[in-house]
Amino acid sequence: MLPQNLGSETNIKLPFSFIIFSLVALVVSQALLLFNGQMMTAGSFRIPAIWSAAHLLILGWALMVAMGSMYQLVPVAFLTKIWNETFGFIQFFVTGTGIVLFAAALYWSPQHAMIPGTLTLLGILMFLLQMVLTLKAQAKPNILTAFVGTALVCLFLTIALGITLIYCLKSGAAADYYQAIFKSHLLLGLTGWFTLLIFGFSYKMVPMFSLSHGFPMVQARFVFSFYVSGLVMALLSFFTEQSLLLKTGFFFLLVGFSIFSWHISIIIKKRLKKKLDKPFAFALSAIGFGNIIHLSAFILLWTPGFKDLIGPLVYTYILLWIILSITGYLYKIVPFLWWTFKYSKEIGKAKVPVLKDMMNDRIIVPVLFFFVASVIVIFFALVLKSVILFNIGQSVASITFIVMAFSIISVLKK
Amino acid sequence: MNSEEKILDALKSVYDPELNINVVDLGLIYGIGISDNGNVQITMTLTTPGCPLHNSITSGVRYCVEAVEEVRNVDVNLVWQPAWSPDKMTEDGKRALGRW
Repeated sequence: MLPQNLGSETNIKLPFSFIIFSLVALVVSQALLLFNGQMMTAGSFRIPAIWSAAHLLILGWALMVAMGSMYQLVPVAFLTKIWNETFGFIQFFVTGTGIVLFAAALYWSPQHAMIPGTLTLLGILMFLLQMVLTLKAQAKPNILTAFVGTALVCLFLTIALGITLIYCLKSGAAADYYQAIFKSHLLLGLTGWFTLLIFGFSYKMVPMFSLSHGFPMVQARFVFSFYVSGLVMALLSFFTEQSLLLKTGFFFLLVGFSIFSWHISIIIKKRLKKKLDKPFAFALSAIGFGNIIHLSAFILLWTPGFKDLIGPLVYTYILLWIILSITGYLYKIVPFLWWTFKYSKEIGKAKVPVLKDMMNDRIIVPVLFFFVASVIVIFFALVLKSVILFNIGQSVASITFIVMAFSIISVLKK
Repeated sequence: MNSEEKILDALKSVYDPELNINVVDLGLIYGIGISDNGNVQITMTLTTPGCPLHNSITSGVRYCVEAVEEVRNVDVNLVWQPAWSPDKMTEDGKRALGRW
């Protein structure tokens, strides 16, 4: 049983509820992808099973883990307490139920996804309310507030557009704008919500885990301005069908991401901790992958091959940028949460383990290495439309994800 | 060993669990005030405001100083000015980071 919260520290049950849910959703989503590999390699991404797997991966895994992490990180980054922890538990229950029913409806009966989708929306709206009221209490807003605040707005728009898509599918309304709404839903969810959120928290976590001091922060303003401008331009181009606007938008997104990469490298060079922890190093490598994918997308936009390659590129963006970043940080956050509640009352009284001892370090490198390798294999399988290659890559990815899930949960035995 | 030395020695048992360096070598202890009746005030900082180990480290400091024989009460005064910087670390602390 998890220990009770005895002081003002975060109640471990809240972030852990989200994180454990997310690990289960991750394993199920991978199994669904594995069993439907043939359709994906034939270029059919938009079929019920893939919708279900994609939403389990994005909502069940990445969104839930992001929410759980935010319940832990927002008080750290913004020096303010979570507005209402009990409300957080209710929000977990509503969102979790919504996502499970939503993924099930997408798999078996997409036309009935409206009600569970609305329940998921309600859960996310509750989360947004929780975060808005928490951030409102922040004494002095800063550039991190801009990143995280904008990410929360994008999350709201992503979900609203997702619900609109289901409504359009059911009623046949706004058929002319269906493609534009779908693209906006995808762009806002991936770059608006996840990327801006990772950017924002990276500015707190990278200096913290590397013990960096004396670095400039002026670049963060340029990262924010370029990236958000690029996002808005790309969104407008979907509805106006202006090719040049789309290209300009992708260019701004690339510039914003590149400045972020450069800025993080400056912060890392100013570090005091010479040897970085392995999971943290993988989270940093995700920035490199994200930058390469942004560059590739911008270059491919000028070629006729863009339509065929954007699907595999989006898949790689989700896995090698968003999920690799989150996983790397998760290997740091989970041991910290468990350590805090198991040993924080012992520090100064008895010898306590250090955070590094909480996780089996030897398993992390092969797990994350196979994760990266399998995603690269899947990318080429999708490009080459090779079912065999896809099945090999997806089998390795699924096993890796299961080992990863158990290695994270094993912290609770320490 | 006088009282201040005993307290400093006790504080060396409190480690930052992320860095695996004790609070003294990390340069987090700014001052130790001892009154005649055994009341002790520790003025300290953390490497960053909003450090997630805030409560754990300050509680650890209180517990270990309370355990020193001559001490009656302990007050931990957490300050952010002057801000912590690497030059506040001891040579042992710098070596432990593998930087020097």
